[in-house]
Amino acid sequence: MSDRPGKVIGFCCNYTTQVTEEPLKEAGILPESVEFKRLSCTGKLEVSSLLAAFSRHGADAVFVAGCPEEECHNFSGSRRASKRVKYTKQILSELGIEPERIEMFFVPRQETEPVVKAAKEMLSRLEKLGPIIKKDSNNKEGNDSGKAA
Amino acid sequence: MAPKLVEAGRSPNIEILTNARLEALEGKPGNFVAKVYQEPRYIDEDKCTACGTCTMYCPVPVVDLYNERLNVTRAPHIDYAQAIPSCFYIDAKACLRVNHEVCNLCAQTCIAGAIDFTQKPKHLELEIGAVVLSPGFGRISHEVLERFGYGRYPDVLTSMEFERLTCASGPSEGHIIRLSDHKPPKKIAFLQCIGSRDETCGNGYCSSVCCMYAFKEASVAKEHEPDLDIALFFMDIRTQGKGFDLSREQATKKYGFRVIRARVPKVDQVEGKLLLTWTEEDGTPKSEFFDMVVLSIGLESPEDAKEIAEIAGIELNKFNFCKTSIASPLNTTRDGIFVAGAFQGPKDIPESVTQASGVAALASEVLGDSRGTKTITITYPEENQELLKLPPRIGVFVCHCGVNIAGVIDVKSVAEYAATLPDVVLSETTLYSCSQDALRTIAEKIKENQLNRVVIAACSPRTHEPLFKETLRSIGVNAAFIEMANIRDQCAWVHSKEPEAATEKAKDLVRMAVSKARLLEPLYETEVDVTPRALVIGGGVSGMSAAISIADQGYECILIEKTDTLGGIANKLSFTLTGEDPKKIVKELVNRVKKHPKITLYTNATLKNLSGYIGNFISTIDHAGEEIQVEHGVTIIATGGRPYEPKDYLYGQSNRVITQLELEEKLKKGKSSLKNINTVVMIQCVGSRGDDQNYCSKVCCMQAVKNALKLKELKPSIKIYVFYRDMRTYGFSEAFYREAREKGVIFLRYEPDRRPEVIKSGRGIKVKAFDRISQMDIEIPASLVVLSVGISPSEDNDKISKIVKTPITQDGFFLEAHAKLRPVEVAVDGVFICGLSHGPKGIDECIAQAKAAASKAVIPLSKGKVSVEPIVSRIDKDKCIGCGICVSLCPYNAIQMVKVGKRRKAETISASCKGCGICASHCPVLAISMGGFTDEQIFSQIHAFAESYLGTQQKDSQEKKQEQEGEQENKE
Repeated sequence: MSDRPGKVIGFCCNYTTQVTEEPLKEAGILPESVEFKRLSCTGKLEVSSLLAAFSRHGADAVFVAGCPEEECHNFSGSRRASKRVKYTKQILSELGIEPERIEMFFVPRQETEPVVKAAKEMLSRLEKLGPIIKKDSNNKEGNDSGKAA
Repeated sequence: MAPKLVEAGRSPNIEILTNARLEALEGKPGNFVAKVYQEPRYIDEDKCTACGTCTMYCPVPVVDLYNERLNVTRAPHIDYAQAIPSCFYIDAKACLRVNHEVCNLCAQTCIAGAIDFTQKPKHLELEIGAVVLSPGFGRISHEVLERFGYGRYPDVLTSMEFERLTCASGPSEGHIIRLSDHKPPKKIAFLQCIGSRDETCGNGYCSSVCCMYAFKEASVAKEHEPDLDIALFFMDIRTQGKGFDLSREQATKKYGFRVIRARVPKVDQVEGKLLLTWTEEDGTPKSEFFDMVVLSIGLESPEDAKEIAEIAGIELNKFNFCKTSIASPLNTTRDGIFVAGAFQGPKDIPESVTQASGVAALASEVLGDSRGTKTITITYPEENQELLKLPPRIGVFVCHCGVNIAGVIDVKSVAEYAATLPDVVLSETTLYSCSQDALRTIAEKIKENQLNRVVIAACSPRTHEPLFKETLRSIGVNAAFIEMANIRDQCAWVHSKEPEAATEKAKDLVRMAVSKARLLEPLYETEVDVTPRALVIGGGVSGMSAAISIADQGYECILIEKTDTLGGIANKLSFTLTGEDPKKIVKELVNRVKKHPKITLYTNATLKNLSGYIGNFISTIDHAGEEIQVEHGVTIIATGGRPYEPKDYLYGQSNRVITQLELEEKLKKGKSSLKNINTVVMIQCVGSRGDDQNYCSKVCCMQAVKNALKLKELKPSIKIYVFYRDMRTYGFSEAFYREAREKGVIFLRYEPDRRPEVIKSGRGIKVKAFDRISQMDIEIPASLVVLSVGISPSEDNDKISKIVKTPITQDGFFLEAHAKLRPVEVAVDGVFICGLSHGPKGIDECIAQAKAAASKAVIPLSKGKVSVEPIVSRIDKDKCIGCGICVSLCPYNAIQMVKVGKRRKAETISASCKGCGICASHCPVLAISMGGFTDEQIFSQIHAFAESYLGTQQKDSQEKKQEQEGEQENKE
C-alpha cells in the first residue's frame, strides 16, 4: 500500500455485516483510511449520497456492499443500489473521474470477510489510481470505462 | 466418577449389559419381561486384562468418539482407562475381520486369548420388577452448530471438545491448543445458549447447566494458562444451584473473566481470525477478534428418545424429553417405569445423582415384597493369619494415573527409589492403579510375594482408599494393611511446573508412607444392629414424601411436625406454572400420611434431643409439652424453609406493596381481586443474591412468571413490568418466560448497584428505576408492587444442627456430605437431608430429593446391620484418668464416661466415632490412640521425613561421587 492510499468509504446495510472498523484496524487488516457507513438498507442510497461521499466526506473510492441480488432482505434494495452505483459511475466519468472509483458488491449476509475483501479491492484500485486530484481534465480512458460499465 | 464406576462394577447385585438396547417391554409393575438385544464386543469380558496390545497391533484407525473425534484410536479399544467393564471392545463397523474376514491380527497378539470373533448378537429376555430409564441426553445437531462456524472454522469448538482439551488424559494432554495451528490461544470467547433457549431449532427450553460449566471450563483454562483473556457471552447468567453463585462470583473475580451480556448471532472469520460482532445492552454494536471460540452447547433429548418412548410405552413432552409431573417427577406415564437424570429434563450432576437415588426408592417401593430374595452377598475369605506372623513385607505401587502423575513426576525413578527402602520387597509402577485390571494385578502380586503391607502412591485416600481396602479383603488380607501416599493431588498437581522437585517430593512422600506402613496393625470392623425405624423431622411436602416412601418400602416411620398442620410452605401456594394444583398435591400426601399403617404422626412436635448413632438413635420429642422417647435407626431432616421478610421497598408501609405469595392468595378470588389494578411492577431478588441472603432462591423467577401469566389471564389489559437481575427460568420453565413476553409482560434488567426504588407519590406509589436499554431513569406509577422474596432457611436449622451435630452452611442450610456424589447425606452417618432444609428449590425437586433421602435411609434399615469403620479412637482404660476432656470436645457425641470399679473412665461409642482424632490430640495422658493413625505411626512418618531430609543431601553428594567415578571410567 502506498503512503497516501486515499480514503475509502464503504456503505453496508445492517444485514450484510454489523462489524465496526476498530477491531479490523487494530488487527492490522484494514488501514485507518477505510470508513464504514451503516444503513438500514443499501436501497436507501441515492446517487446524491454516493456523490456526497466523494465531495463532502472526502472519499477517493467508494463501495457499496449489499445483500446478494436475489436474496435482499428488502427484496430489491441491493438491486436498486447497484443501479444507482451504475448512474454514479456515469456521472463520475462525465466529471472526468475514473468510474472504477465506485463499485457495487453483492456479498453473502452476515459475513465480514467479503466486505473486507471489497474494501481491499478498492484500496488496491486506489494504489493504481491514487487520490482524486481536483483539476479540470478530460480523461479519455475514464470515459471509455464509464461506458463499459 | 471412578469410585462410582468401580462400585457399580464390583457390586454382585448389578449386572452390566453393554452394547445393549431395549427391544420390547411387556408386563406390569413387579412382573415385566424386557427383551434386550445385545451386540457382541468380540472380546471376552472375563479374559480381557485391558493391556492394550490389541489396540497397538490393529491396522484400522477409527476416530476416538470418547475424545470428541479429536483423537484417533484403533478398532479394538476402550473408551477410557477407568471404564467399566474394564474390557476392550471391537468397533464392529471398522473391524476388517468382522466385515471382510481378513486380518485377525489382534486375536493373534492377545496373550490372554480374549478376542473371540465367534461371538454372536444375543437376544435376551429379562424378568424384572421395575424399570429405570436413564439414557442421558443427546447432542445439539450439526446444523445448529454450523450457524456458529462450527465445522467451517477449525478454532470454533464445542464445550465438550474443549472439556477434552482441558483434560490431562485428553488428546492434547491438558494443553489448550488451537486445532488450526496447535498453538495456545491468547483470547477465548464462550458463547452461551447454543441450541438452548432457541425456538429456531425447536429447543425452546433452557439447558440449565451450561452457564455453570462455562465458568468451570473457563476457570480450568485460566488455571492452566494464567495469561489467557477469556470473555463469556450470556443472555442471563443461570447459576442457580446451591453455592453456584458464590463460586461463579469468586471465579470471575479471581480470573478476571469478562462477562458480556449479549447473544452473539454468529461467528465470522476474517483473514483466518475469528471475529465476533454483538450489540451491547445500550444498542451500540461491537466487534472483537478472538483466537478461539467455545460454543456452550445445550442438552438435547436423546437421539433415540422417540424409539425408547415407543418401546417402553411412555409419553414424551413437547421437547422429546420424558413426560413427568410436579407431583411425581420421577414417574413416567407408565406404572413401574421410572426416569432419572437428563432424560427427565436437562440437569447437572448433583440433581442427576439425587434423582438416581430417588428412583431406587421408587423401584424399592414396587419390589418391597420380594426384598432380599434375589440378592447376592459378598463373603470375604478368612484372613490369612500367617501373614501377620511374618516381619513386614511391603509392596509399593506407584501410579501413573495416566499423565496426571506421570506427566510431572518420574514415576519410574520413584518406584526404583522405593525398592531401596527397608522392608520393601516389591516396587512397581501401574498405569491406573484404580482400574479393575490393575487391582487384579495388585492382588496377584500380594499373593505371590506374600506382602503384608501395601503402599499405594497415587491419589487421595479420601476417594480411593476404600477401593484398595476392598481388594485386600477380597484376598484375605486385613484392610488396615494399606497406606496411601498422595503424590497426585498433593504433589503432581500442585507442582506441575517443577517436575524434578516434585519427583523428589514424591520420593519423600513414599518414604514416609513406607515407614508408617511398617508399623501398621490389623484393625477389625465391628457390626451393630439397626433399629428398623426412621424418624422424619418436618411435615412439609419433602418430609411427607420421604416418610411415605420409607413406609411404602416396608419400614416404620415416625413423622414429627412442629405446627398443627401438615404441608408446610406448600400450603401457601395456589397454583403452579404447569397448571397442576399444589393444594391437591399436599392433600394427597396428607391423606396418605394419615392413613398409612406404618407412619406414626406427631404434630405440634419438635426434636429436643438426639443421641446414639447410625442404627441406634434415641430421640427425645417434645409433643405438645409432653416428652416422648423414640428409638430409630435413621433420621431424615426435612425442616423446610420460610419466605424472606422484606425490609425495604416500603413493604409494610404501603398496602400496595406485597409479596408474590400474598399476590397468589389475592388471585385466588379471581378477577374481582384485580379491580382498580392496572399496572403491576414485580421486583426480583428481594432478599436473594444480596447482602442479606447471598444466594439464589431458585424459584422466584418462575413464581414471578407464573403470577404474571395468571394476571394476564385474569385481566389481559393489565400492564406488568418485571425488574430482574437474571431471569432464571431454567429447564422447561423457559417456555413460560417466553409466553409471558409474548403476552406483553415487560422485563427490565437491573444491576445490584442500581436497584429499583419504590417511592410514595401522593396517595399512590411509583417505582423509580434505571432502564439499561434507553440508558435513562424511568418512573412507573404502580397500582401494585409485588416483591419476589427469596427463601430463608428454617429458623430451626441452627438448633437442629447442634442437636444432630451436623454442620450448616454460612447461608443456614444443611451441608451435604459431598455436593455431587452424596447430595442427601450429611457428615453424621444415618442422617439425611431433603427439601428446603438442603437449599432453595421447587416442589418437584423437593419430592425427588425426598425420595432420594428415603432411598438412602432404607439401606441400613434393610440390611439390618451396620458395619463400623475401624478407624476409630481407642481408649486405654489403664492410662485414662477420667478427666472428661475428650467427652466435652467430641463433636459427634461419640465418647461417654463409664464407671470401671470406682473410677470414671472414658469409652468410645465406636459406631458414632468418625475418627476425627480431636480426643486423641487433647488427651493429657496420651491414653487415646486412633486406629490406623497411632502416635507411633505418625511419629515414624515425621522422622522419615526429617531424617531423610538430611539424608538426601548426603546421598546427593554420594551420587555425585558415583557419577564422577562413572565418568572417569568412561574416559578410561
